[in-house]
Amino acid sequence: MKRLKFNKVNCIGCQLCAQVCSAYKEGEYVPSKARIAIETYYDRGNLKYADHFCILCGICAKNCPTEAITMDDHITVDFDKCIGCGICAEKCPKKVVRIREEKAYICDTCNGDPKCVKTCPQHALTFE
Amino acid sequence: MTMLGYQNNVLRINLKDRTFSTEPLRMDFARKYIGSKGLAIRYMYEELKPGIDPLGEDNKLFLTTGPLTGTPVPCSGKLSVAAKSPATGTMNDCSIGGHAGIRIKFAGYDMIIFEGIAESPCYVVIEDGNVEFFDAGDLWGLGSHDAEGILADKYGIEYSIMSIGPAGEKLSNMACINSDYYRQAGRGGIGAVMGSKKMKAILIKGTKGVKVANIEKTTDRILEILHDDVLQDDNTFVFDEGTTAFLEACGDGGIVPYKNFSEGNDPEWEKYNGSVLMQYREGKRGCGSCGLGCGNFLKIGDAICEGPEYETIAVAGPNACITDPEHIVKFNEVCDNMGLDTISTGDTIVWAMEMTEKGIYDFGIKFGEADKMIKMVEMIARQEGVGADLANGVKYCSEKYGGTDFAMQVKGLEFPQYEPRGSWGMSLAYAVSDRGACHMRAYAPNEEVFAASIPPYTSEGKGQMVYNLAEFNAVKFSLCICDFWGTISYEIMAEMLTMITGEEWTAEEMGEVGRRVINIGRAFNQREGFNRAHDTIPKRLVKDALGGQGPAAGQKIPQEAFDDMLDQYYEVMGWDKNGMMPDELIQSLL
Amino acid sequence: MKVTITLRGTLRKYFGEDKERVYDVPDGCTCDEALKIAGIDYREIKNFGFVSVNNKRVMIDDRLNDGDTLKAFSKVSGG
Repeated sequence: MKRLKFNKVNCIGCQLCAQVCSAYKEGEYVPSKARIAIETYYDRGNLKYADHFCILCGICAKNCPTEAITMDDHITVDFDKCIGCGICAEKCPKKVVRIREEKAYICDTCNGDPKCVKTCPQHALTFE
Repeated sequence: MTMLGYQNNVLRINLKDRTFSTEPLRMDFARKYIGSKGLAIRYMYEELKPGIDPLGEDNKLFLTTGPLTGTPVPCSGKLSVAAKSPATGTMNDCSIGGHAGIRIKFAGYDMIIFEGIAESPCYVVIEDGNVEFFDAGDLWGLGSHDAEGILADKYGIEYSIMSIGPAGEKLSNMACINSDYYRQAGRGGIGAVMGSKKMKAILIKGTKGVKVANIEKTTDRILEILHDDVLQDDNTFVFDEGTTAFLEACGDGGIVPYKNFSEGNDPEWEKYNGSVLMQYREGKRGCGSCGLGCGNFLKIGDAICEGPEYETIAVAGPNACITDPEHIVKFNEVCDNMGLDTISTGDTIVWAMEMTEKGIYDFGIKFGEADKMIKMVEMIARQEGVGADLANGVKYCSEKYGGTDFAMQVKGLEFPQYEPRGSWGMSLAYAVSDRGACHMRAYAPNEEVFAASIPPYTSEGKGQMVYNLAEFNAVKFSLCICDFWGTISYEIMAEMLTMITGEEWTAEEMGEVGRRVINIGRAFNQREGFNRAHDTIPKRLVKDALGGQGPAAGQKIPQEAFDDMLDQYYEVMGWDKNGMMPDELIQSLL
Repeated sequence: MKVTITLRGTLRKYFGEDKERVYDVPDGCTCDEALKIAGIDYREIKNFGFVSVNNKRVMIDDRLNDGDTLKAFSKVSGG
């Protein structure tokens, strides 16, 4: 099964991944609502990476109390069942699940052809 | 009717009263000046009455984005930071990298305007529609990096932090504003304007979005342009080497400044060139929406910086007769933390070196004295000892102590690191730039030195050449698009503007905007009393034959040649022989 | 006569893995002619910048001497 992989050495922190993701998912350039959030930052003389992206670990699905989340080769959230309790977000090891207006928003790999991967100008993101 | 891409929203902050308000963007200005550089100057023309004190309560600090900011248009993340300059008395627009630009847009604003002077040192936190003011007593006096670290610990990485160091607090003409630690709004004393307002830092976070028409089609097309045009190797050299690539080209071209602009190259350049420096690279970074990632994060010995850029290498290296790469990086680091522009600070120090060696005035430092140069940066920032005078720059100091012939500045802004006797058009570019000696208006070496076509040691055709270069950059920086997307064209600019704003822009209009932006800057300065008398170059370029062994050795620029270039430029611009704009031209800009 | 040709910037790709190459060229050959022998026609390369001989910029039609090092640079944008 293919998964997103992040090679931090290549990342320049441009955040184009989040901008493009939000364009296709939200109809606006609004990275705060993207299904991916990768940033680089300096911290007292060190360059650090805050990489939040779905690794298809399935922990969200395993812990969902209403069985709203399913996973095959990507995650699907059934909004009819989702009650926005936030357990998935709490358990997510990559801290990439967003809860908004009582619903969970999770990366769906854009049907196996992730836009973030196509966007990344420095090949920091791959799908393999 | 408003254009898309813009937020149609300006945040106005009063630091004295600790109040804020919002208002619609002047769309009539935006239609003529687009955004960033051009829009900022137009607002300054409107809101800054002539004759105000740049360090007084009537000056304003304008943070201006463009319609492309906060979209995936590559290299669109830079932010214009503008005010009237305390160093020159002209308008000043700086361009800062990092992520503050996109965050301002995502907070819901096209522009943020800071007015007035705070009662006591403060910092301002902006999160979407919310603005809060905090006392900065504990931060005042700290280095910019030290302050940014404390604020980042408190607020988290979702905030961009813009801050000044002690240099800005003490109102140095060379003070800069930092962001993301290592990016600067560098020149013209912009940091002193922020310091005069007693504002230590600005924090910005945004969770809103930028709307465009046909977003999926627009985004698809933008990604095509990113991969087909931006990421070709003509542009990606900045990823590989950063601006260190200029060292060899400028060296062979004979335009690297050596020993306070006495010679045109340094035979020992391989001691501190890109090959040496990049061995110490630990990481890469770019700005918001970048594609190229020009930032090189280096650690050498105990010196750290993101850089160093060509300007810093040249001024702390050959211009100071120093070849140690660790010194160059340390100079970069200390300037950044103190909040000082490396170009002006370096130029001022090397001028002081020449003054000392010539026995005209003893500033206590000579060429090659690397440790003293680093100490002098702190003295300038804190205005201690000779630093108190030097903090005002070479124009002020040379008028006080002598040595004006080799005080390399125009209108009070020190020279970027290109020797004009090796590229005569550059002397014109420095003289007529809208904010004093600047290389980011018309970058003459591109046509005269790094190309086979135009001869460098003549005045012929330079008026038109400098105009063409200035027009291109003026509109490019009003979109705004970063300098390093070198292969961009008016056609691509117009296509992207059309897609993002939803209104039709043509390639021809791009040139018109560029011309208009040059003119509105000139109009601002003219109203402040500037004319031909101020479009001058230091006597060193006219009297002293360039030394050394480079291709330009022996060159000097005859006064008649310079006057001829100036005449040509005024004619191209439609200004009179005194460099003054006719009334009808000024009215057409408003 | 022999000249060493080095390429800089984006022109480096024309020499593949080699940092530099040495060529036999006719006496009094120009920079342009020497580059052509190396398989580079500057007129065909959009981003061709300038040439230097022994670390000093010269014009493309200037003549070379035996043992010279000819460097060809691509244009660099920015500042």
